[in-house]
Amino acid sequence: MTEAAVHTEYATMDVALKIWRYDSSTGERSLETYEVEAPEWVTLLDVLDIVKDRVDGTLAYRKSCRMMICGSCGMRMDGAAVLACRTRMAPLVERGHVPVISAMGNLPIIKDLVVDMGPFWGKIRAVTPWLDTGYAPLPDREHMVEQEDVTPIHKEALCIMCGCCVSECNSMEADPDFLGPAALAKGFRFVGDPRDHADVDRLNNLNDEHGIWDCTRCYFCNERCPKGVDPRDAIAKLGAESVKQGIDHDMGAKHAKWFVKSAETTGWLRETELVPKTQGIVASIKQMKFAMNLARHGKVPLPFPPHVADRVDESRALRKITQLQDRQGALGHVQGERALARIEHTDPGGARRDAPEVTLGETPPPAEG
Amino acid sequence: MVEAKHDVLVVGAGCAGMRAAIEAFDAGADVAIISKIHPVRSHSGAAEGGINAALGNASDDSPEKHAFDTVKGSDYLGDQDAIEILCNEAPGDVYQLERWGAVFSRTDEGTIAQRPFGAAGAPRTAYAADITGHVLIQVLYEQIMKRDIRVYEEYFAWKLVVDDDRCQGVIAWNILHGGVAAIGAKTTIVCTGGAGRLYVGTTNAYACTGDGMALALRAGVALEDMEMMQFHPTTLSPTGVLITEGTRGEGAYLLNSEGDRFLKRYAPNAMELASRDVISRAEQTEIDEGRGVDGNVLLDLRHLGAEKILERLHGTRELAMVFAGVDPIDQPIPVRPGAHYHMGGVDTDVWGRTSLEALYAAGECACVSVHGANRLGGNALMETITFGKRAGAHAAEWALTHTTVTVPESAQADAEREVKTLLDRTEGERPWAIRDSLAQTMHENFGVFRREDEMQRQGEIIAALQDRYAHVVVDDKGDVFNNDLTQALELGFLLELAECMVMAGLARKESRGAHARPYDYPERDDEEYLKHTIVRRTDSGLMLDWKPVDITKWQPMERTY
Repeated sequence: MTEAAVHTEYATMDVALKIWRYDSSTGERSLETYEVEAPEWVTLLDVLDIVKDRVDGTLAYRKSCRMMICGSCGMRMDGAAVLACRTRMAPLVERGHVPVISAMGNLPIIKDLVVDMGPFWGKIRAVTPWLDTGYAPLPDREHMVEQEDVTPIHKEALCIMCGCCVSECNSMEADPDFLGPAALAKGFRFVGDPRDHADVDRLNNLNDEHGIWDCTRCYFCNERCPKGVDPRDAIAKLGAESVKQGIDHDMGAKHAKWFVKSAETTGWLRETELVPKTQGIVASIKQMKFAMNLARHGKVPLPFPPHVADRVDESRALRKITQLQDRQGALGHVQGERALARIEHTDPGGARRDAPEVTLGETPPPAEG
Repeated sequence: MVEAKHDVLVVGAGCAGMRAAIEAFDAGADVAIISKIHPVRSHSGAAEGGINAALGNASDDSPEKHAFDTVKGSDYLGDQDAIEILCNEAPGDVYQLERWGAVFSRTDEGTIAQRPFGAAGAPRTAYAADITGHVLIQVLYEQIMKRDIRVYEEYFAWKLVVDDDRCQGVIAWNILHGGVAAIGAKTTIVCTGGAGRLYVGTTNAYACTGDGMALALRAGVALEDMEMMQFHPTTLSPTGVLITEGTRGEGAYLLNSEGDRFLKRYAPNAMELASRDVISRAEQTEIDEGRGVDGNVLLDLRHLGAEKILERLHGTRELAMVFAGVDPIDQPIPVRPGAHYHMGGVDTDVWGRTSLEALYAAGECACVSVHGANRLGGNALMETITFGKRAGAHAAEWALTHTTVTVPESAQADAEREVKTLLDRTEGERPWAIRDSLAQTMHENFGVFRREDEMQRQGEIIAALQDRYAHVVVDDKGDVFNNDLTQALELGFLLELAECMVMAGLARKESRGAHARPYDYPERDDEEYLKHTIVRRTDSGLMLDWKPVDITKWQPMERTY
C-alpha cells in the first residue's frame, strides 16, 4: 500500500528529486531526475513509493515500518544519511530544493539505494552482542535492578541498526575494519548493563586495533543518528570506562590518561612527554629529530622546568571532584548527559537553579544519587 | 535443486519466529529461519506499549485474573484452554526474556515495571518505556546470534512444499540475488504476522501482507475467525502510525470536538482504559455524528507533564512531532481508529499444530485462539513469546522423531515456470492501482462498522480486483533486489485473504468484538454464534465452516466496561 497514493483528498504539491541509480550486475551508474505530484504531508519514503508505482518499478530501496523503528530505509539525501520515512518533503519543496538521493556510504551498493548490510552485521557480531551473566546463578524471577542503573544504557538500547551512523563514519572510510559507531554503541549497551559480568573482557576486546581509540571524534554519527543514540558518546563512555578499569594497552588510552595527568599536575598539557607516555621510548627516540625541530621553532615548550599554570589548584580541584563524586568512567558521562537533558527540557534558563555551590579548593558536596 | 534441508524451518523472524527458533534449537534441532526482511526489521519491533503477564509487581495479580480479563476481552470467543495456558506460562516467559537481557523499565523495588492497560483488572503490562517490542526484538536477535542460528535473510517464502500429505518446507524467492530456492524441512512454522496492509489506514508495516495465512490457505489449511480485524483507537491521521495504548495507561484523555471526555457515555467505569473495540466504536460514532475534529478525535497528554512524557513516552512524542507536526507536551494529538491486529489466522491447537501435518503457526498469523473477537493490548507480544516457544518445542520434537524430507523436483520447477510467466508478461496493468483500490474499499466496506450490503459489495469488488490481478505486469525483470516482483506476489496473498474475511464476516450475523453490525445485528448471539468461523480452500472454491469455542470455566456474560 502506498499511503500517499490513496489519500487523494489532501492538498498536493509537485516534488522533484534526483536519484543515483546503480546496477551492480552491469556496474552502470546514472543520476536520474523524477517529478511527481504528492500530498503535502509526504515523506521521502512516500515519494519513492510514488516513483516506484507510477514511474519506474525497477527502483530498488528497502522499507518496512515507515514509523522510524525498523531501520530499513537508511539512505543519503544530499550526501548525508537519513531515514527516508522520517524526512518530510514539504520544507524542501517550499524552498525549491531538488535533493539528490543516493545509497548509504561505507557499505557496498547492491542496487540503487540498497546496500549490502553484511559487513554491518559482521561488526555487530564482533562485539559478542548478548548478555553474559558469567557464573552468577540466575535468579528464579527477574534480576533485581534499580531503574537508575539501567537508565545509562537506554540511549544505546534505542538503536534500530539502520546504519546511518556507519554511512557517515570518517574513520571507517579510512579503515574499513574499524568496528564503527553502531557496533560500539551495541558494545556499550552490554558494558553498561549492571546484569552483564563480562565487561572486562568486552573492554579488552573493544580496546584492540580497529576499536574505540580509532574513532576520530568527528561526531558525524551523533549528528546523523535518527534516534538520538549518540554513538560517539557511547564510544566516549567505553573509553572512560576502560581507563577507569585500568585497561589501557592501546595508545589511545595512554594518550587520554596523559591528558588527565598533565592537567592535574601542571594545569597544562605537557606536550613533550606526550609521545613517550603514549607510544613508549622506542617510538620517542625515532621521533627525536622531529621533536627537536618542533622545539627549535617554538612549537613545543621545553620539558624543564615544568610549565605550571598560575591557578593549577583549580585544575586539581576539578579532578578531585570527579573522583569524589565517582564521575570517572562511563557513569560520569551519563551524569553529564542527564544534566544537559535537564537543561534542555525542563530548565530553559540554562543552569540548574538547585545546583549545589561548588567552591574550588574546598571539599566538594557529596555525589547526587 | 534443494538449497538445504533442516529439521525445523521458521518462516518469519518477528518475536514469534525468533522465539520458536530459539526453543527448537535448544531442543537439539537443526533450525533455520527464512525471512523477507532482516529479523530486527520485523514489525514486532513496532509494538510500543508492553507485554502482559501476571507478575504482580505493581499490584496483586494472578494468572486467573489475567485469563478472565482475556476471556471477557475476547467477547467470549477466545478458547479458554489456550487462554489459561497463555496466562499461566506468561510470567515465566517474561522472566526468561529479562534474564536474556531485555531492558525492561523498573519499579522502585527493582522488579520489572508494569503499567495499566485497557480492559485489564490490574496493572499487568510489563514495558520498556514505549519501545517494548523493539527491546524484545533486539534481545531475541541477540539470542539468535548467540546460537548462530542460520537465517535466510531477504528470502520471500512463496509456497509451501506439500508432499505425502505433510508440509516438507518452502519454495522461496531470493530477493537479494534472485532465483527460486527450495528449502526442505521436516517441520515448518509460519510466523509471518498480520495482514494490516489490506487497509489504507493501518498501523502495520509494509511487510504485513498476511504471507503465512495465504501460504496455509493455498495448501488447504483452515483459517479461523478471519472477520476479526482489530481497529486500534489511537492511530495518527492520515498514515495510521500507531500511538501506543501506553499513553492512556499513563493517564491520557480522549476528547471530542467539544473538549468532552466522550467515553463517559460508552464506558463510564473504565473510560480511556476500556477495551479497544469499545473505544474504536465510540470514536467512530463521535466522528460520524459530527463531534470529530477533521475526521479525528483528540488524544490529550498535556496534563501528564513534560517530565513523564519525556521519560516514558519519548518515542510517542517523536512520532507525533514527525508525522502529525504536534508536540504532545503542548497540544493534543489527532487520532482515529486504524486497522491494527488480526485476531484471526491459521487455525492451530495449543502447540501451534495446523490441520496439515508438520505445519505449525504462531503469533499474529495464527489463531489459537487466545484473542477471540477482540485482543487486549499487551496480549499480542505475550502470545508471540508463549506460543512461539510452544510451537518451536513441538516442531523440534516432531522433527527429531521423523527422518525424511522430500521436496519433489516438480515443486521448484512449477514455481520457476510461474515466475517466468509473470516476468515475461509485458501487456497489462501494474499492481499498485489494484492494491490501493483493495485497501481503500476494505476500509470503506469492512471497517469498524459493517453492513450486509457493503460486505456483499466488497465481495464483488474483490472478485473484480482478482480478475484484474490475473493479468498483472511486473516492471522489473531483473534478478537483483527485485521487490517489484515480490510486492506483486504479496498482493495475490492479500486478495485471497480479503475474500476469506468477507466470507466469514457475512456468515457471522451478530455483533461480537471487532465484528460490529449495529444496523442489522446489533447484539451478540451466543445461541447461534458462540463459535469460530473456519474458511478453507477446496477444489470447488472457498468453503465456510464452524468450530466450537473451548470453554473451561467462564460462561459468557454481558460485557461492559
